[in-house]
Amino acid sequence: MASIASRRLAKELSEIKSEGCPVGIKLVKADDFATWWFTIEVMGESLYQSEVYTLQFRFDAQYPISSPAVQFVVKDGLEAPIHPHVYSNGHICASILGNEWSPVLSVTAVCVTLQSMLASCKKKERPVDNDRYVRNAPENPKKTQFEYHDDSV
Amino acid sequence: MKVTVKHWHAVAQWRWDTGGTEPDRGGDDEEDVCGICRAAYEGCCPSCKMPGDDCPLIWGQCSHVFHMHCLLKWIGTPASKQQCPMDRRPWVTAER
Repeated sequence: MASIASRRLAKELSEIKSEGCPVGIKLVKADDFATWWFTIEVMGESLYQSEVYTLQFRFDAQYPISSPAVQFVVKDGLEAPIHPHVYSNGHICASILGNEWSPVLSVTAVCVTLQSMLASCKKKERPVDNDRYVRNAPENPKKTQFEYHDDSV
Repeated sequence: MKVTVKHWHAVAQWRWDTGGTEPDRGGDDEEDVCGICRAAYEGCCPSCKMPGDDCPLIWGQCSHVFHMHCLLKWIGTPASKQQCPMDRRPWVTAER
């Protein structure tokens, strides 16, 4: 039933509109309850100083029981940040988007987690298996069974 | 003076006893909504039309509270690993 997802997303959206997004996160587009776009910027000192990235959320009718499909937008001149857990096609290897998703998480909570993932990065580099992954990657990152290693980067 | 009551309306209010900071629960919105659907405990889950006994709450031994229907939907998925959405401890329903 689609209304479960849309009711919860409507609540999240009205909260974002009344209270605003966390610092460094901006809502770009949320015209429906299927796809939302945000820009994300790491505040303070980091390897990504003054770089702005665009995040895409896609929701299915089971959200928030099922996780959103989240990735960086890589088209029309937009690029994914260079990070050991971010593939050049925008797909992100982060456990909270996969096997550690919880329905009490929210869109802004995911944004903040990804923001801090960038903030704590020590070295800008692509995942070691970037080329291999990108060549065979499914369109939807949720279809990838990521292995999560190395929480430190 | 003599007063004759001709008509009266009884008004009652109910709320689930979530064991929180009764009676006002501190006015913190976070405490008043189900973490899964974000609807008020005293409202109903998105699958129900009427709040009340038909859409009850469920308590975990970990102390977290959800609409029963919301939690069961989550626990019914393999992704949940039968864990509480709040603290990821194994979900054990508390006796009330």
